[in-house]
Amino acid sequence: MQLAYYPGCSLHASSELYDVQCKMVFGNLGIELKEIADWNCCGATAAAKTDDFLAIALPARNLGIADATGLSEIVIPCSSCYSRTLVSQQRLSCDPELKAAINAELGSKVEGAIKVSNILEVLKPRVASGEMAEKAKKKLEGLKPACYYGCLLTRFPCDVTVTDDVENPQGMEIICRSLGADPVDWSYKTDCCGASASVNDAEQSLLLMSRIMKDAEARGANCYVTTCPLCQFNVDAYQEQVAQKYGLEKRLPVYFITELIGIAMGFDAVGMQVDRHFVDAMGLLKELKLI
Amino acid sequence: MSAKTLQYEAEGAQILLRGIMDKSGQNLLACYQCRRCAAGCPVGEETGVTPDRLIRLILLGDREEALNNLLVWKCVACYTCGTRCPNNIQTARITETLKQIAKEEHLEPLRPRIADFHSAFMKAAGHMGRFNEIEGMGIYEVKTAVKELKKGNVGAVIEEMKNQAKLGMKMMKKKRMHFKVDKVKNRTEIKALYRKAKAEKGA
Repeated sequence: MQLAYYPGCSLHASSELYDVQCKMVFGNLGIELKEIADWNCCGATAAAKTDDFLAIALPARNLGIADATGLSEIVIPCSSCYSRTLVSQQRLSCDPELKAAINAELGSKVEGAIKVSNILEVLKPRVASGEMAEKAKKKLEGLKPACYYGCLLTRFPCDVTVTDDVENPQGMEIICRSLGADPVDWSYKTDCCGASASVNDAEQSLLLMSRIMKDAEARGANCYVTTCPLCQFNVDAYQEQVAQKYGLEKRLPVYFITELIGIAMGFDAVGMQVDRHFVDAMGLLKELKLI
Repeated sequence: MSAKTLQYEAEGAQILLRGIMDKSGQNLLACYQCRRCAAGCPVGEETGVTPDRLIRLILLGDREEALNNLLVWKCVACYTCGTRCPNNIQTARITETLKQIAKEEHLEPLRPRIADFHSAFMKAAGHMGRFNEIEGMGIYEVKTAVKELKKGNVGAVIEEMKNQAKLGMKMMKKKRMHFKVDKVKNRTEIKALYRKAKAEKGA
């Protein structure tokens, strides 16, 4: 089957590894990701903080392009892009005037027909159907991930259908368990890492991350797993700084969910760019004899 | 919070309240001060002003405090407050709105770096249609460096450059830095949306 695909800017830059992994994992599950043509930046949180019109209009252009593909569903792996796109679609569905104003500027008009999905929405049913197990060649034994969802997968600034439990989502746990991993129960799975605050309000962001990391360590996790490139980057790239400042003992690799699925499927770790993490992500896999 | 005594002035308070309610789409009058938002706010301890207090400031018509408190700038838009609010008030939409008002009125933000980051992001996103990390970070760093230098804070600029250089080196080493410019072909449409956004504000 084919799904429309919106990678977003991160997956074309510092989180390119996530783009590579998504294509590999989805491909193996028989899903071809069709990147939508000439997509633009969704505006992320910056648009919402500076300009209400652009916050809706930028994702709207992508929605118009996605509608024109004729495909029924678009998958957006980045939590921020997913959130902004879903919010834009919802807002336009109840504001015909704004929709007309935006459509007037667009070649591909927004219809609002396409279903906007996050990555777990597409992957989770493949666990229930048995497709995931069928493709998995290895059991991820010994892996104890702290499944880290962050903010934008389950919390929205307006009423949209939330696809998992808001306060205690389970999508990643379901996938991890089906692959033989043993995810820890912990309290900070939906807490904020600070996102861009790591750049513009660093002390605040480090404090937020220290709470997340302290709990993951206390619960006995040996790695993190996430779906959001911003969460992944922050918890990975700033982990050493947080650890030194707040006295953490361990350094835990921060995997994308696609990395764990890919390893279970038997893909080559370097081919999936698992060696591009800030906190070494290859060592644990070797230690557990998963690669 | 300021120690001044607020002179409540009904008409002014109404204008402020209505303006923010219209722009944010949030019914601030529904707030009954249960403080569930405050309990969940991840930056509340640092900002002092929690979402419930911010709503109160607006209801009391304290325009100056409503625009000049740390919550407006340090809010990370995690949407925890709004998700837990029993009356469905999304306070993050209110902090977003106040940031926009501050920008439209050219008020000096309490945390200029945060405001500058988001402006730089939007500038870079509008320029190529896609956000290129090097371009966006470049605009932001130059903007903040100029401001710090004007204030004579040479040390702060050097410290920031050191930190960013360190991160940049780490990114290079891990092949996370991308030098290829990613851009939208049909940038005419992006420019048109930016123009319309500007016109909407003027309206």
